[in-house]
Amino acid sequence: MKTKISLLSAAILSATLTMMPATSHAAIPQTVNGQSMPSLAPMLERTTPAVVSVAVSGTHVSKQRVPDVFRYFFGPNAPQEQVREKPFRGLGSGVIIDAKEGYIVTNNHVIEGADDIKIGLHDGREVDAKLIGADADSDIALLQIKAKNLTEIKSSNSDQLRVGDFTVAIGNPFGLGQTVTSGIVSALGRSGLGIEMLENFIQTDAAINSGNSGGALVNLNGELIGINTAIVGPNGGNVGIGFAIPANMVHNLIDQIIEHGEVRRGVLGISGRDLDNQLAEAFGLDTQHGGFVNEVMPDSAAEKGGIKAGDIITSINGRKIKTFQELRAKIATLGAGAKVTLGFIRDGDEETTKVTLGEANQNKEATAGAVHRMLAGASLENTKQGVKISAVAQGSPAAQNGLLEGDIIVGVNRTKVKNLKTLKKILKDQSGTAALKIRRGESQLYLVLR
Amino acid sequence: MFKNAVLYVGKAVIIGLVVAAIFLMANSYLTNGTLHSQIFKPKDTGRSELSFAKAVRRAAPAVVNIYSLSIDQRRPLNPGALQGLGSGVIMSAQGYILTNYHVIKSADEIVIALQDGRKFTSEVVGSDPDTDLSVLKIEGDNLPVAPLNLNSLPEVGDVVLAIGNPYNLGQTITQGIISATGRNGLSSGYLDFLQTDAAINEGNSGGALINTQGDLIGINTAAFKVGGDSGNHGINFSIPTKLAYSIMQKLIKDGRVIRGMLGVSGDAVTPVMAQIFKLPEVKGVLISGVDPTGPAAKAQIQPRDLIIQFEGEEVPGFEMLMDRVAETKPGSTVTLTIIRQGQPYEVAVTIAEKPINYSQ
Repeated sequence: MKTKISLLSAAILSATLTMMPATSHAAIPQTVNGQSMPSLAPMLERTTPAVVSVAVSGTHVSKQRVPDVFRYFFGPNAPQEQVREKPFRGLGSGVIIDAKEGYIVTNNHVIEGADDIKIGLHDGREVDAKLIGADADSDIALLQIKAKNLTEIKSSNSDQLRVGDFTVAIGNPFGLGQTVTSGIVSALGRSGLGIEMLENFIQTDAAINSGNSGGALVNLNGELIGINTAIVGPNGGNVGIGFAIPANMVHNLIDQIIEHGEVRRGVLGISGRDLDNQLAEAFGLDTQHGGFVNEVMPDSAAEKGGIKAGDIITSINGRKIKTFQELRAKIATLGAGAKVTLGFIRDGDEETTKVTLGEANQNKEATAGAVHRMLAGASLENTKQGVKISAVAQGSPAAQNGLLEGDIIVGVNRTKVKNLKTLKKILKDQSGTAALKIRRGESQLYLVLR
Repeated sequence: MFKNAVLYVGKAVIIGLVVAAIFLMANSYLTNGTLHSQIFKPKDTGRSELSFAKAVRRAAPAVVNIYSLSIDQRRPLNPGALQGLGSGVIMSAQGYILTNYHVIKSADEIVIALQDGRKFTSEVVGSDPDTDLSVLKIEGDNLPVAPLNLNSLPEVGDVVLAIGNPYNLGQTITQGIISATGRNGLSSGYLDFLQTDAAINEGNSGGALINTQGDLIGINTAAFKVGGDSGNHGINFSIPTKLAYSIMQKLIKDGRVIRGMLGVSGDAVTPVMAQIFKLPEVKGVLISGVDPTGPAAKAQIQPRDLIIQFEGEEVPGFEMLMDRVAETKPGSTVTLTIIRQGQPYEVAVTIAEKPINYSQ
């Protein structure tokens, strides 16, 4: 009995003793980096010097045909066109991504048509900038300035962003001067907005307004995650829906601009659509996200990689994609020659393949010239009826031979042409003259290539 | 005897000290050592503190997009086009969905789109225009359900996230704080809104307001409009989950929300009114209008009567009186204490059922 009581009191004593330091442990406040009040100020002190204002000026030139009545009065030497010049000024933001080289990234729409671009640095300096290159479809432009003591911004891997991560937008809204706003990632991979040709936006609720364009969207470490580009606002102002071009996409484009002075768009060589409910049901799939492949172009990167019509592309380099537009934007901005791992579903099985992206446009014309020297200058496209001429360069051999845009080559001599592959094959064996059977609108005609 | 007592106490003290020492040493070893961090700390504290991704992952799948399938009357055989209406929140695995009444009220056929891509046609279980809530139902397996915690009451300053489908862009998460709780008077006295500055726009209506744990705390319902100007101005309203949940249960049970009605309009007595009408005290509700066919009129209640008690309880304001009346089962008789021309009276009133105005 006594032993029991003594053990009990021992237990109480030890419990009392151990409780005391335990409570003092709990009293220590949980702090982040030794700061009890969270503030973005320390991060911003490092980051904001890398965000600049971009002031542009230039003239919009609009041409107007002089009415015939005036030409009658002024005689045959009167100008056919009247040129109107309207001076304009614009203001936006930019981000220094390479302090040594003086590279500044901004939106194409900020500097489009400008004759003069001036950069306002955070420390008050004003420097003239040179345009290195721009890409209208993705709305990215690269400028260069010559200045010392610049601050650059590091980029984070924007593929690792998650919905709900904090964001901070830095820019120059309404020309007010540098402004910082905060929010979170509202959505990722946003496309189909019709703002740009190639869309794969980060959506954020950090306030973005006119003049923020080209400015930085950063994370809490002060690393660049995107270039602020556009908003949805029924009255032109911010309603908490802003869009930024992801940093990874920006870097893919910038690298190409630095290397080639332009963006060499990568091409996979497929056409397709979003995977939706009905398609998923028809193919008996669990997933509802991905790009459905309608058609694979002959000799394209996709065909070489073994992609077939009916496949559903679900990931690029291990990152899941939701829509066909997202796939398109990612491929196009990766650049020609890039090696890409595609994840796809075929017959319910998940597979991957490695492809090397082809190059847009040039590829097509090169093909046309290679098919037959008299076809040089035409862009060829496979369609159901045959090989379509999607464009003809002025004064090119193709144009001189009478080919028009929209013509469809359905046959050569007496052989039917199904696609580029068969056309190539037939013309290869045909050393001399070839008669192309062409469908132009409702009618059919023969054109003779010499 | 004395020796025994010393021995007894000494034994206890020594054993106690030894056990405490061992425990403390072990504890300090654990606290400083890596073992402690492995056992006591969640794996990715750094990231989870700096992002709401976890909360979003818990709640976002249960927030659905609501579309109307409008069928062209002239071409009834054509498949209709989907038109974005707003958002909704899946409240149970049985497929009950809460949304705003104004989102679905003029839709012919309602289509629910889940974030995983599934689409369902749905039926309306019931609507309550007074709170602007409707309950829809879909039939589906493995439905994601919004995490609920009816006991956690939001406070002013709490960080909140709004989830919805603004302008039919696709699912969008916006962040803000609770700006106020217990807002009254947006459209009727039954509402007890949460106010937030998280961006809510057209199409967010019916979506979820969640806390940083991912628990549902409200159904987003309306954005304050400045001069008819649409768009977010940082003043947005949300129906608290507790109210929304009880309305949902009533709609599932009865197909409507049964409320009692008195058939009067009035205001809480102010000192000025008390002076003008020569009232003895500044309390109660002064009746300004009586519905001629309502229960109050049948009980001979007149304008200018002062209601000071409902079933023996004081009534501090008109909204509180209306709340008590609404909670009373229609058909039951209650006693009101009124003052007419300085004289107190007790009046028995048989409460009627409040008619529901679905056009509001």
